[in-house]
Amino acid sequence: MAKPNQLKEEGNRRFQAGDYVMAEALYSQALILDPNNPALYTNRAMARLKLNQWDSAVADCTACLRLAPDNVKAHYSLSQAHLALRAYDDALHHARAAHALCAKAADDKSLGTLTAHVLRCKKEAWDAAERRRARENADLEAEVLALLEREKEAAVREVSGTAAAGEEEGGAAAAAAAAADAEASREVAAEWDAKIERMRDVFEKARPVGEKRRTVPDWAIDDISFCVMVDPVITKSGKSYERASIVEHLRRHPHDPLTREPLYISELRPNLDLKQACEEFLQENGWAADW
Amino acid sequence: MSVPFAAKRLGKELNKISSSLPPGIELVSADNFEEWLLDIKVLDNNPLYQNQTYRLKFRFSPSYPIEPPEVVFIQLPDRPIPIHPHIYSNGIICLDLLGQQGWSPVQNVESVCMSLQSMLTGNSKNERPPGDEEFVRANTMRPKDIQFYYHDNDV
Repeated sequence: MAKPNQLKEEGNRRFQAGDYVMAEALYSQALILDPNNPALYTNRAMARLKLNQWDSAVADCTACLRLAPDNVKAHYSLSQAHLALRAYDDALHHARAAHALCAKAADDKSLGTLTAHVLRCKKEAWDAAERRRARENADLEAEVLALLEREKEAAVREVSGTAAAGEEEGGAAAAAAAAADAEASREVAAEWDAKIERMRDVFEKARPVGEKRRTVPDWAIDDISFCVMVDPVITKSGKSYERASIVEHLRRHPHDPLTREPLYISELRPNLDLKQACEEFLQENGWAADW
Repeated sequence: MSVPFAAKRLGKELNKISSSLPPGIELVSADNFEEWLLDIKVLDNNPLYQNQTYRLKFRFSPSYPIEPPEVVFIQLPDRPIPIHPHIYSNGIICLDLLGQQGWSPVQNVESVCMSLQSMLTGNSKNERPPGDEEFVRANTMRPKDIQFYYHDNDV
């Protein structure tokens, strides 16, 4: 019988070759033999993500996190699965967890990817909320306009009702009364049409409000990647950058980008207030995550 | 896995410089995130550069802005190579800002253009770098790989 390790290796080879169905099957066989191996769960989760099997990917990541709560890959895969399932809060929670673990481990190879993923979660959550808001507003607009149309019809009916009452009298008087009524209902109809038009105007004016303030303040932008900061860190000179960007720079050139004084990764400190401010800014202006 | 650092950042720079650039700097083309062309002019009345426009070619690597862009002047019928003791007659520029050591990722296309503008503005010497002819004939290296000796940094 094959050993779990051999099955895993073969699964990895299949995964690399793009045969995710076979890879998933091999990891499953390995898991039967070795059900407490966290790496098997994350590997199978990644294969299942490729196969768009979101729910079973969630199950694998959850199983892995029970065995190894600090597994970055499990948090990252879980976040991706939740994002696909449109569970935005969970997606963001695990994206943040993966990013924090990665920053703590000083694993700067994946830091950039995870930073981008956190921003993507925020952006998608915002987009979904926007779509919902737009849909709800459109529904409200249609409803209000329909109500006004009904009111208009009722008002017009009321005016022409008085004409029907006078019909018995016959002759020229009746014709004159009918003409006066027709005139009156035209006036009422015009009055209501004007109201409906004004209502449309109000909705129209409300629409582009979100578009107007679409500028990102400089303090929220990382001067290296030009993205809104997710995990700002501050240098000795007092300037803040996105952790992933400045680490990438310092790895090659250990000097402050502004002052050119020597600067080491170990000297960076998190800027918690700025982080909070950026987070609040993004909550109000989620579109900026993709700015 | 690596994030397409350069493309994202260049997209944002392009957004900004398409709408506004300082006087004397003009975007000529930016069809991709590998090579951009810009024109610069010297704004004061330095007689060396009056009534002339110069064409700059920026080339970006995938690790821009961590790595500096490669920036050279290119020659066209109506775009000469400016005369300057730090600019070779083949358009290669000797400026510490553009070297591996002098570059900083907070620099950008706009700030590089402005630095070059002011480098020309401040110059009064009507000459090429020492050994220009020999360098232009013999050089086969990419500008960023050349170890320039930053002589007379006060120019």
